[in-house]
Amino acid sequence: MSLLEIDNLSVDYRVGTGSLRAVDHVSLRIEAGEALGVVGESGCGKTSLGLSVPMLLPGNATISSGSIKLADHELVGMNEAQLNRLRWTAVAFVFQGAMNALNPVQRVDRQILEAISAHDSHAAKEESSQRVLELLDLVGIAPARAKSYPHEFSGGMRQRAMIAMALACRPSLLIADEPTTALDVISQAQILALLSSLRRSEDLSVLMISHDLSAIKRVCDRIVVMYAGVVVETGTTEQVLGRRGESALAAHPYTQALIGAHPDLRGERVLAPGLAGHPPDLSKPITGCRFADRCPSAMSVCREIVPPTVTISEGHTASCHLLKKVGA
Amino acid sequence: MSVTAEQSETTRARVLEVRDLVVRFAGRGKGRRARAVRAVDGVSFDIEQGEILALVGESGCGKSTIALAVMRLLEPTSGRIISGGENLATLRGGALRQARRRIQMIFQDPFGSLNSRQTVFDTVAEPLVIHKLGATPEERRSMVMDALELAHLRPPERLAQSYPHELSGGQRQRVAIASAMVMRPELVIADEPVSMLDVSARAGILRLMMDLRDQLGTSYLFITHDLAVAWVVADRIAVVYLGRIVEIGPATRLVERPAHPYTAALLSVSSGDDVGPDGELIEALPGETPSASNVPEGCRFHPRCPRYIELGKPEQCRSVDPQLHVIRPRTTTNEDTSALSPHEAACHFSSEES
Repeated sequence: MSLLEIDNLSVDYRVGTGSLRAVDHVSLRIEAGEALGVVGESGCGKTSLGLSVPMLLPGNATISSGSIKLADHELVGMNEAQLNRLRWTAVAFVFQGAMNALNPVQRVDRQILEAISAHDSHAAKEESSQRVLELLDLVGIAPARAKSYPHEFSGGMRQRAMIAMALACRPSLLIADEPTTALDVISQAQILALLSSLRRSEDLSVLMISHDLSAIKRVCDRIVVMYAGVVVETGTTEQVLGRRGESALAAHPYTQALIGAHPDLRGERVLAPGLAGHPPDLSKPITGCRFADRCPSAMSVCREIVPPTVTISEGHTASCHLLKKVGA
Repeated sequence: MSVTAEQSETTRARVLEVRDLVVRFAGRGKGRRARAVRAVDGVSFDIEQGEILALVGESGCGKSTIALAVMRLLEPTSGRIISGGENLATLRGGALRQARRRIQMIFQDPFGSLNSRQTVFDTVAEPLVIHKLGATPEERRSMVMDALELAHLRPPERLAQSYPHELSGGQRQRVAIASAMVMRPELVIADEPVSMLDVSARAGILRLMMDLRDQLGTSYLFITHDLAVAWVVADRIAVVYLGRIVEIGPATRLVERPAHPYTAALLSVSSGDDVGPDGELIEALPGETPSASNVPEGCRFHPRCPRYIELGKPEQCRSVDPQLHVIRPRTTTNEDTSALSPHEAACHFSSEES
């Protein structure tokens, strides 16, 4: 049994008089202790996927198909009271821009204390205060800074405080949506190093969502690449991005374009051509492959038939007509 | 900085010389508590014709303040900014306006930098109007169309009539580039020109900047937080930390052999080299950049410096402010001068190459 099992999940948004499928039959698994990264451009459905696990989708969204099992509990269809027992204790989340989510007029230690007491009403006061200091230490905030207000913290420190809060009730799964976006390179690296060490010390599983392939590569064991609501490629980090110092093995042209979009300081000093165009409008029907309009290798079949999911090696799959052709 | 006048005969014409630039802001608080913010704390560099110099650093390091001071969009506290034989730092009124024709700027946010009520034509024509260029409306029109064409805004006739909201982020940034290029500047200051664009649009804008350099010999001061992008786009890189250039040199050389420990840390996180033998990430640098109102004594980097710890905390690092010194001198040939420029670092323990 995996810690998290998502099967055939679809998320629909009501938009005006129509609807839009942001997540389209997505399946993924996270084993205990594993870190999985979901990567894709803005609008690919990765944030909706992340929000659907704790059932925190906005009001105009519905889960129209599929199942989400967390430690064998089916979350789809669960009532709010039951969900509240699992939120923070089984699954916690650090949102995009979370460092601006702290209450500006309350000291940081106080806010973490509240998070603990809100979810564990039996906790003794002294024990909880001790836990706050433990948590701050865990994320690298010195006890002397515990009584600071959020504005006295840098972006990186605020993100550390948010992570401390998320870990307050010892969740087994942490969902981190763009945890380093808007931080400076050194602070980014510090937060990624923190996530990577927390995985080990706290026995934490991680679902990390980011547009930044290099950030995902640095923390995650496995990668799911999403495009326009569907999974286009999945595999271990090594299967998709190659071993350190070796070139990437990505099979899907979209993954290849994502990898090429940022220059590799240990690779060739060239500016990759980038990716022309935009993702398709999901409120309109799409025939064939969703990436066909932007794909440098698109064939006529790509605009007619949805590409099959091809297994490249054990655990590494991609959905592309090119692969079928090569395999045949 | 050790670049001196006699070396200039082996180089192309200089379009910009910045010497000992200082920008301070008054601190908050009263009396002793009012400490000046040393945003730019003694910065010198040159840009040659057709050269792209990247200023790389984290937010708050002073790289954008350097750009604004060069444009005289804020007043430098001291220092010289030489362009076209004039010191921009002391020019006033009409003379400053004249000098500004030679230097144009592109900002980070193509959504905020364009007037949403102006057509692309009017936006691009505006600098011509301000500087009273183009004798007839026809002449002005053809200058605008040329600039749109240069920025690959095609077809120019149709795009000229559109408004910013009809354009993608990448197209808007091309409009910003067109309105800079319509003045045919010697130097373009591009402050994080691709940071707010989708991954898909970035390469196109960077490629365009490089093409304009090749076609027209435009020089760039390219400001970015992204060392990898700087490495691909720029001829030379200057790494800025807490208001100072701590290392400067040819882009390839700086990435292959960083001399300053701060550059080495940036490089290790940007290239993904910060991984331990067991696959766990290693913290490249401890702590955070101090405030520019509280610059550490001695070497400003020493409180976070891995080399300082390794060397057993030498006293020199705490007491003496290191200046840029040559690690590898300029190689004297007339070929690609940028690649052969001197490599300098401001660290007591970055030794000269024999």
